[in-house]
Amino acid sequence: MGASDSIELLGESRGPCSDTMLGTPQYKRDRCVTGVHGLDEILRGGIPYGSTLLVGGTCGSGKTTLAMEFVVNGARMGESTAYFAATEPSVKLLENVRQFSFFDMDMVDKGLLNVFDMDVAYSWLGLTKATFTMDDVNALVKAITDIVNTIGVTRLVIDSVTTLCYKIPNDQLIRDFLFTLGKTLATQGCTSMLVAEITSAGAKANWSSFGVEEAILDGIMVLGDIDRMGHLLRYLQVIKMRGTDHSRAKYALELTPNGVMLTPMLKWGVDI
Amino acid sequence: MTEVTLNSSVQVRCGASNAFLVTASLIEPLITEFEMQGVYISASRGALELINTLNEIGVATDNVHFIDCVSSALLGGTESTFPNVSFIDSPIMLESILLRTLYNLNTMPGESKFVILDSVNALAIYNEDRMLAEYLHTFINTFRARDVLSAIMNVPDQTPPGVLANLDLYCTDLIDRGQVVIS
Repeated sequence: MGASDSIELLGESRGPCSDTMLGTPQYKRDRCVTGVHGLDEILRGGIPYGSTLLVGGTCGSGKTTLAMEFVVNGARMGESTAYFAATEPSVKLLENVRQFSFFDMDMVDKGLLNVFDMDVAYSWLGLTKATFTMDDVNALVKAITDIVNTIGVTRLVIDSVTTLCYKIPNDQLIRDFLFTLGKTLATQGCTSMLVAEITSAGAKANWSSFGVEEAILDGIMVLGDIDRMGHLLRYLQVIKMRGTDHSRAKYALELTPNGVMLTPMLKWGVDI
Repeated sequence: MTEVTLNSSVQVRCGASNAFLVTASLIEPLITEFEMQGVYISASRGALELINTLNEIGVATDNVHFIDCVSSALLGGTESTFPNVSFIDSPIMLESILLRTLYNLNTMPGESKFVILDSVNALAIYNEDRMLAEYLHTFINTFRARDVLSAIMNVPDQTPPGVLANLDLYCTDLIDRGQVVIS
């Protein structure tokens, strides 16, 4: 191969999201384009289809907005999407999200964005106990799967999986629940975000509340705050994403009226 | 100013006493002659004071969005009646300033846009030199890549030498106290 061949090959690899320092992979999985400003670039094109992600973050870090924007952008492209609200009533959630210009109530009316209250789902399934058994967990997975199948959901969010896991008595059951849920959703071609609440997002922190979620799921995204001289700056970092190369740097996250925007965090400004 | 190149980055040096005159003589032709829209990052003084002063000398500010990095530090400073002003908590939130600027530029319908950063020496009060130099490097390249004219104001005597050296290196043009030096 001569020098000109090398240059031509390099030229071929300059697709919008295919460049990596290691070159272009021979096979590239189809992507679920999130439409979130900057995120698809970080993920070299989007989330690999059918992946189940853990979106862990501290309170006020932008998890719900990010997750909502992910499903809304799917709905805008004509996909059927589902959002399971476990931390706040769906009415309150929708009222909060209406301030963002990316949101359009028409999507709810047209059935493209389906918001479910987990509390209602629990009552409907008869899961009114404080602690779930294995049978209860299976019933819940089946209920979610039935909804995905019936509506043809391609993007799903559970916000948050932490509140749900609090009802599951041990790590093994949590592991089984998440593994079964992730596997079932992947089989249906559904790309999912499981929102998790964590108390700190530093280098020594766990990426999840129970410490078992991160090993099972396909990807981990962490949202947190950096304290810069008394001011909290939101950031996002992709820790793991199976099936794609991705940036592992910290990105400053800003909540604008148009939703989440990301830019690389200043290297000299990360550890002030 | 007789012509502008959209992907250029202009370092505008002013003296401590003529900063506002330089600001006005920079922004006025961009708005009136070149019919541009843009974002004004105000770290030297509050946006409300700036808008009022510009309006008083006949410079219309309707097509400019102001990002005010000063007024949040003043109790009651953010009670604005202008729809084209947004506030940043502190000049230390450099990434937020950049993202807010990009957001506001994206909401503007025109093709020809500018961003004015007023000023590097004001940001230097709050930010460490290395971080500020890194920020300006990112800032210049971000807007050049988007074909947005950027003008970066500074009072050289009050700007850290390392930061100033970076500006000299990365800016495409230099206006020194109203005189075009390099273009």
